[in-house]
Amino acid sequence: MRNRLLVLLCVVGILLVSGAAIAQDDVETYVLGVAQPFTGPLGSFGTDFTKGIELAVEEMNAQLEQAGLNIRFEAVSIDTEGTPDGAARAVQTIVQTTGAQVIVGPLTTSEVLGAKQFADENNVVIVAPASSGAAGAIPDDNIFRVMYPPDNFAAKAFAQIATARGYQNVAILHMDDPFGNGLAEQFQEDFQALGGGSVTVVRYAPDPADVTSEVTRLSADASQLSGSGTTAVFCICFLADAQKVLQIAQVDPVLSSLDWMGIENLANPQLLEDQNYSAFLQNANFVSVSFTDEQTPVGREFVEAFTAKYGSVPGPFTNYAFDAANIAMLSMLVAGNDGAAVKAILPFVSNHYIGTSVQGYLDEYGDQAIAYYGIYRVADNGSEFELIGTYNGSADKLTLEE
Amino acid sequence: MTVTLLVDSLVRSVQVGSLYALMAIGLTLTMNVVRLPNFAHAEYITIGAYTALIVSLGVSSNPLLILGAAFLVTALVALGSHHAVFRPLEKHRTSTYTMLLASFAVGLILRYIVFLLADYFELFDRRIQIPLEVWYRSSVVILTNIFFWVVPTSIGLVIAFSLLLNRTPLGREMRALANNFDLARIIGIRVGRVVNLTWLLVGGLAGVAGALWGLYTSVNPLIGWFAILSVFAAAILGGLSSFPGTILGAYLVGLSENTLMQILNVTIGLDFSFKPAIPFIIIILVLLFRPQGFTEFLRSNRGLRR
Repeated sequence: MRNRLLVLLCVVGILLVSGAAIAQDDVETYVLGVAQPFTGPLGSFGTDFTKGIELAVEEMNAQLEQAGLNIRFEAVSIDTEGTPDGAARAVQTIVQTTGAQVIVGPLTTSEVLGAKQFADENNVVIVAPASSGAAGAIPDDNIFRVMYPPDNFAAKAFAQIATARGYQNVAILHMDDPFGNGLAEQFQEDFQALGGGSVTVVRYAPDPADVTSEVTRLSADASQLSGSGTTAVFCICFLADAQKVLQIAQVDPVLSSLDWMGIENLANPQLLEDQNYSAFLQNANFVSVSFTDEQTPVGREFVEAFTAKYGSVPGPFTNYAFDAANIAMLSMLVAGNDGAAVKAILPFVSNHYIGTSVQGYLDEYGDQAIAYYGIYRVADNGSEFELIGTYNGSADKLTLEE
Repeated sequence: MTVTLLVDSLVRSVQVGSLYALMAIGLTLTMNVVRLPNFAHAEYITIGAYTALIVSLGVSSNPLLILGAAFLVTALVALGSHHAVFRPLEKHRTSTYTMLLASFAVGLILRYIVFLLADYFELFDRRIQIPLEVWYRSSVVILTNIFFWVVPTSIGLVIAFSLLLNRTPLGREMRALANNFDLARIIGIRVGRVVNLTWLLVGGLAGVAGALWGLYTSVNPLIGWFAILSVFAAAILGGLSSFPGTILGAYLVGLSENTLMQILNVTIGLDFSFKPAIPFIIIILVLLFRPQGFTEFLRSNRGLRR
C-alpha cells in the first residue's frame, strides 16, 4: 500500500512537472526588434528610447500573464550607430537572427530611410517613434511614423510665426540631410504662400567640425536681404551645431542685430546655461516650436514607472518610443508575428491608441496626423524657455501671445 | 565675392590651419619616430578637449591652466597607450598594418570611454568656459580673444617644436631614430627614453590642439574624429615625413576648406555640404600625383630642412 502511494505520488509529481513544462512550452514569444543608435552623437537618445521600449514590454508581459494569456514579448536591441547604413544592417540582423517582423525604431529619418528598402522588400514593419523628416512621408510603404508628427506641421507653424512677426525675408542655415532639407523646403513653400518675400539657404554637412564659412555666408546673405525688408534668421541645426553657430553669430554685427527662429533642439535649457548664448537669444527675440510636452494620465504613469525602474526621468521623446512599442505589440497581439498582417492592422490600432502625450492618428502616409505644438521664447530671467503660443497642426491654427 | 567674405575666410583659414598644424605635427612625429600611422591621435585630441572642458567647469577659466592640464593629461594617456598596447606589439615585431589596426582599436576604446563618461556626467556639446570677448573689430573682420589664444599658441608651439627638433639633443635623437632606428640604438641613443618622450610630446601637442579646437567650437566625444581626416590630409601633403611640409599642408587644407570653399560657393554656388569632401580630394590628388607631398620641394630649399 505504502509502495503504491509512493508510486502514485511519483506519477503525480512527474505529471505536474511535465504539465508545467508543457504549459511553459505553450507560451508563444514574439520578438520585438529594437533598432536604435547606442553609439555616436545620438547614443544617449537611443539608450533612453530602448529603456522606454523595454519598460513597455515588461508592462505588457505582466498584463498578459495576469490575464492568463500565453503570449509574451521579448525585446531584442541592435545598434544602428546613428547612420543609414547602420540602420539597414541593424534591421536586417534582427530579422535574420530572430525572425522578428516588427521593429521599433530607428531614430532619425535618415536611419529610417536607410532601413526602408529591406523592410519593404521583406514585409517587415518599422514603427518609428521620432522620425519626422518630410522625406519619410511615403504612401503604402512598411514605415509607420507614430506619435511624433512629420515636419510639415512645424514648417507651417514657423511660416505662420514669421508672417505674424512681420518678417519679409528669411535667411536659413540648415544641415544637409533629409530632415534639414525637408523642413527648409517646406518652410520656404509655406512662407512664400503666405506672402513672404525672399528666402536664402546655406546648407552645411551633418556633424561639421567647423561652421565658420557657413555662418559667414549666412551673415552676407542676411545683410543683403535686410536691404529689402525685415529679415530673420532660421536655424535648422542640432544643438551641437547651433552652439558653434552662436559662438560666431554673437560677435557678428549683422547676425546679432536680427531676429532668430530655431527648431526645437535649440529650445534646450542647456543652451541658456551659457550667459553669452542666453543674452544673444534674448536680444534676437528667439522663437522655437516644440511638439507638445503635455502629459495624458498614461504619460504621467509612464514617467513614474520609468523613474522607479531606472532611477532617472526619461529623456526627450522617450515617451514616444514607449508609445511606439505599445502600438507595435498591440498590433502583434491582433495579427501575430506576421509583417503583412501587422501592416494592415497597425493604422487601426494606432488610431485607437491614447499615448503618453497625444492620441495616435495616422494619415495616408502612415504618419502621425495630430500635432499640437508649443511656441517658446527665452523668458525674461534668461535661464528658461517660456510658452508664448500654440499651433494646432490639424486645424492649421496659430495662437501667438507676444 | 565681397572683401568681407574674402578677408574673413582668410582669417579663418589661418585659425583652422594653425590648429591643423598643431594636430598634424604630432601625427607626423609618430609616423617618423615610432613608424605608426596612429588613428588614436583623434582621441588624444578629444581627451585634450575634455580635459580643458572639465578644468574650465570645475577649476579655473584661466586659459594657461586649461592648456597646461590638457597637455599633461593627454601626454600621459598617449604614453599609457604606448606602454599598454604599442610597445608590447613592437616587441613581437608586428607589421605596420597590425599596428595600424591596433591604433584603431586603441582609438575606439578611448572614444567609447569618453562617450561613457560624457554620458554619465552630461558633458555632450559643452563649451569650454572662457568668456568670449571681441578684441579687434574693423569693417571687414572681427577677432575675438579665442582667435588670439588659438593662433599665437598654435604657431608658438609649432615653432617651439621645430626648435626642439632642430636645436636640442633630444631633437637630434628623435631625428636619428626617424632616420635609422637600429643604427640609433647601436650608437648609444637611449631609444626607450626618446620614444617615451616622443609619446609624451605627441600626446601633449594633440591635447593642447584639442583644447584650442574646443575653445573654437564645442566639445563632444567625436571632436577629434571629425577633425582627423583634415589632419591626415595635412600630414600626407607633408609626405608623412616632413615637418615643414606638414605645417604647410595644414595651412593649405585650412585655406581649401575656408577660402577656396567660400570662393566656390560664391562663384559657382557649390554647397558648403561638400566641404568634408575637400580633405578626401586632397588626399586622393596627392597620392595620385605627388605621393611624396611637399617633401622634395622643401628639401631643395635650404633652411626649411627638418
